[in-house]
Amino acid sequence: MSSVSAYSGSQGTVRVVLPFDLADLLAGWRLVQAAMLNEVPAEFTRDEWAYLAAFLSETNLRLPFARSFGAAAGAAVENGLLARPRGRVALWLPNNVSLLGPLMLIVVSLTGNRLRMKAGSRSEDLTGIFLDFVRRHARDGALAAYLADSVRHEVFSADDPRNLEMAAEGAVRIVFGSDAAAAAIDALPHPADSLSVAFVDRRSEAWLEPERCDDATLRDLIKVFAIYGLAGCTSPARAVLLDSDRRAALDLRDRLVDLWPSVIRGRPEMNLASDNLCALQLARMAGWDARLVADGRAVVSVGDHSLPTYPALLELRLVPASRAQAREGLPDNIQTIGHALRDASAPEWLDLLAKTNVVRFVPLGAMHHFETVWDGRDFFAELFTYTRVTQ
Amino acid sequence: MTALLDSPPYSARAELEFRAELLTLTEHHLDGCPEYRAAWPGWRPTDDITGFPFLHVGAFKTIRFVTSAPGMRHQRILKSSATSSGISSQIVLDKRSAELQARSSHAILADFLGTEQRPLLVLDSPGGLRSGTEISARTAAALSLNALASDLVFLLTDAADPASVRWEVLLRLLAGHESLVVYGFTYMLWTAWAAAELPAEVRAALQGKRIDFVHSGGWKKLEHLEVGRREFDATLTRGLDPRSKVIDFYGLVEQVGVVYPLCSEGYRHVPAWADVFVRDPWTLAPQDREAGQLQLLNLLAWGAPYHNVLTEDLGRLVSGECPCGRHGKRFEFLGRIPKAELRGCANV
Repeated sequence: MSSVSAYSGSQGTVRVVLPFDLADLLAGWRLVQAAMLNEVPAEFTRDEWAYLAAFLSETNLRLPFARSFGAAAGAAVENGLLARPRGRVALWLPNNVSLLGPLMLIVVSLTGNRLRMKAGSRSEDLTGIFLDFVRRHARDGALAAYLADSVRHEVFSADDPRNLEMAAEGAVRIVFGSDAAAAAIDALPHPADSLSVAFVDRRSEAWLEPERCDDATLRDLIKVFAIYGLAGCTSPARAVLLDSDRRAALDLRDRLVDLWPSVIRGRPEMNLASDNLCALQLARMAGWDARLVADGRAVVSVGDHSLPTYPALLELRLVPASRAQAREGLPDNIQTIGHALRDASAPEWLDLLAKTNVVRFVPLGAMHHFETVWDGRDFFAELFTYTRVTQ
Repeated sequence: MTALLDSPPYSARAELEFRAELLTLTEHHLDGCPEYRAAWPGWRPTDDITGFPFLHVGAFKTIRFVTSAPGMRHQRILKSSATSSGISSQIVLDKRSAELQARSSHAILADFLGTEQRPLLVLDSPGGLRSGTEISARTAAALSLNALASDLVFLLTDAADPASVRWEVLLRLLAGHESLVVYGFTYMLWTAWAAAELPAEVRAALQGKRIDFVHSGGWKKLEHLEVGRREFDATLTRGLDPRSKVIDFYGLVEQVGVVYPLCSEGYRHVPAWADVFVRDPWTLAPQDREAGQLQLLNLLAWGAPYHNVLTEDLGRLVSGECPCGRHGKRFEFLGRIPKAELRGCANV
């Protein structure tokens, strides 16, 4: 049973036609969310599971429609755009990914598009585990039917011929991965009118003003960094301390080192502790003034934009800088700036966003929050095709 | 040069001499290697050598350390096999250290294999010797046995292909000798020899011969075959002279010259010119009895600071005298640190 819902925004009225009743689909996700409160698969961390459960709130699931099309409106409006699912979505997930697969499954389900997912073959496949869980708990209804009829999940390697199949049949090709992986998938034969959505290598930063460096902010910084360390595109690859000098940065480093064990309480896995010790030594060799957090939880180092960096997983790099230095030091592939500023709405920040490649400017604690406007594009809206209707 | 190399490898430990020589070596590297010095800002000598500056083994995958000093002549680069991370460790070899390392290897291996000179057959191709400035861990391990060899023969035509054994060469050697030494990486010794379909004439020629098999490199590549040590050893020595042995040694390219063969009682013994600590992986506190991260030290490495290396291997020190008769320190090797991934975002 299809449904039509209408939205009114900057582009006028958009009526979205879905192959199911959206309310019924959301009811299915509510059932799943309720089940998630009682059962955590061993493969997920509790934090990961809690984040997914929170993501499934009905308010959050309606947000992409509001963000892309505007406020809900009466369906009786006749002129405007008619949006319908674009077609088959081919989704390549990366190795070493945590929640992208489950999150994309949820988001794509809202569009009604058929979905074929390829999970990474060199990492734990959380997507498959989540999909099994959802299938068990969705019961009957639009979500269960959608998953049964429209969702296909596979795990295979980069040289498997099924990559060719996916590229050839996809109306939309979504790739999360390295620049090289995205280029390789884009090079596969695909329909001329298909759409490519590539989320490639990006880096993020945290920007902090001294006045905001209270313990609450430092706790946020530790939390947001420790989730993925330097492995996350939304993790702060460095924390830029605006209008600070080296002395202040060293003081802040020491506060972070002292505070860290009260924020991240457990010991890290043995290999991570070992990796952090290696990172400490390499950071010092590169000229960073680095300290190890108790029990090898992480490395916190102080340096500047010009210093080289060596491979590390959990090295939080603090860089004191003037505002001009901070702007000049942004990497070309900057994604998110997570801010702790006195006034994030001040004109200077609008100017920054207008003149740089920054695609997300969010509070520090929201750096990892996944949204349907990502890497500078509204991919949710791109999952639909549009018909202009004027009567 | 270390005077300790003049003593038998497994004699009682001369701790004071060892500390004095280690301090000299440490200060030599602090003076001549800026990266090593940077890793240990403000270090001052301590009585306890567990406080001496060490390098994490992973650092050798990123930095090609070199210690500069008058008269120091650096030569070839020793590269690890990069089986886990895909990135090789690189150790810069120098003339002075190479001489010490050769003496060390000879003394250690002679203790296990005897000093009789026999043909040494290596399950590798000779290509590794011809690569000029670089040398693989596999080739280096084979060459460490060279001092005990009357003749050195590479048995493979293709280092990556266990099926490329030149059996005719083996047949020729078996015709002229009653005793041989065969060296290979553990998985290569299994796939190219123990589990291989040996030609009938080779099988016949091997009967009753004394063959000592020496292997290193670890068991990881054999895990999927579920081959245990007992089966490994029994398969290799079946039909041979009962004095034939299989010796599994533990060693790192970052500790070239010092190898740790498994003794008959299942322990690894520390030669007089080396030392081994075990550290708590989180606090780094030295452990006397508990299992932890192995730290390996030697007095041989002058060209680069690989004299004191914290490994990513687990082990446990064992107190008391070993029934095998060797003296000094000993430990159990417990395998690699288990890997747990830090889950990231899309772009890694």
